[in-house]
Amino acid sequence: MNAPTLLERLAGYLPLLAHGAATTLLVSLVAIAAGFVLGAALLGLSRSRARLAAGAAAAYVSFFRGTPLLVQLLMLFYLPSAMGLELPPLAAAMLAMTLNSAAFQCEILRAGLASIPAGQIEAAASFGIARRQVFRHIELPQIARAVWPAVVSEAIDVVKNSAIVSVIAVADLARVGRQLVASTYRPLEVFMAVGVVYLVMTAAIFALGSWLGARMGGGRAGARRIVEQAAGGQP
Amino acid sequence: MNAIDMGVLLGLLPDFGTAALRTLALLAAAVAGGLLIGFIANLARELGPPLFARLYWVYTAVWRGVPFLVHLFIVYFGLPSAGLALSPFQAAALTLAVYSGAYFAEIFRACWRAIPAGQIEAARAAGLSRRQVFAVIQCPQALRAAVPLIANQAILVLKESALASVITYPELTMTAGRIVAVQFTYVEPYLLLALCYWLLAAAIARAGRLLARRTAIDAMVKK
Repeated sequence: MNAPTLLERLAGYLPLLAHGAATTLLVSLVAIAAGFVLGAALLGLSRSRARLAAGAAAAYVSFFRGTPLLVQLLMLFYLPSAMGLELPPLAAAMLAMTLNSAAFQCEILRAGLASIPAGQIEAAASFGIARRQVFRHIELPQIARAVWPAVVSEAIDVVKNSAIVSVIAVADLARVGRQLVASTYRPLEVFMAVGVVYLVMTAAIFALGSWLGARMGGGRAGARRIVEQAAGGQP
Repeated sequence: MNAIDMGVLLGLLPDFGTAALRTLALLAAAVAGGLLIGFIANLARELGPPLFARLYWVYTAVWRGVPFLVHLFIVYFGLPSAGLALSPFQAAALTLAVYSGAYFAEIFRACWRAIPAGQIEAARAAGLSRRQVFAVIQCPQALRAAVPLIANQAILVLKESALASVITYPELTMTAGRIVAVQFTYVEPYLLLALCYWLLAAAIARAGRLLARRTAIDAMVKK
């Protein structure tokens, strides 16, 4: 039987790479979603009047943004076992990535919140609109539109950062790549295939993010809609 | 949990000191190389034929769309089979330089775009060539505006440099891991490791702010 051609080999890698990509996407999704919730909570904490809470939030953000993710991952994986807690690699990976992303999303949300003119909220209050209504109809849509590009960017960063979890033996795309190299001795083509899969994932997130952003009304599509409405729909 | 043993911590300082120097060496090589590559990429995009603009787009899209770890594996594990075998430092420095070069190129592109078009039109109308406009009008202003962005990117490069530990370059992260494996103490090495990176990042941020203030043109300084 002839040795498999490049195309045949690549086809053989595909199922394993798909499995790895699925794990990568799982870890990334958990990190982004949980990171968002935690980041929003952190933002609330940092705006509190209690100095201890605000200081703790600031220290958290400073630590998780100022140190490498790899260091955070190693600390969260090895330190619990020194204290007697056994944390499975996948859990440690999701935890580290969530805590890391939360710090960045906190700052993204902070910037988004700051971009809404205070006058709008004051005007709405003077009209007698309830605080909750103000948040839901006035602040939230604008915050969502303002932070969306940064959120998409953060999502792409999370997917790229997720490759780091391969060092603590989580079976993500990068680790599957290393295992394939160990069994095929073809590092160049395997890792390039891995790179292509990552590229496809990040490009897909970018495309989806841009499309959703346009639908929310941001960017050129949003500006066009506003101009059309202002002109009364007439050319 | 045991309290932090200061004796152990102090005993780690010499090893961490040399490791920090290696991290800095990697950082310096990567940022210098990256700035050069990024500048040339932007220059090629600005002044070259449309083909160069497309090549620029491919370079920045591919190198920013794939994790740094994968790039590192391709260079360190993959290139030897194509004839180029690099040491861990060489592989890490080269990959980090080309990787950060893509980000620096985008920083330069943004700063170039930030220069008002009117200045360029006026210069061209006055008879300056595209190259002269680039060197005399755009470079001085754009590079000054780029300083804070470059400092920020340098901090990101510092954090990314921790991955050089995966290909066994004995910088900070690998040194901490080695000490943990040999001495069975977890808390002090990792605490010191985090502190080292945090201090280095703060130092880079400080240097960036100082440089920005020194090079700022009056009109750019926020009053």
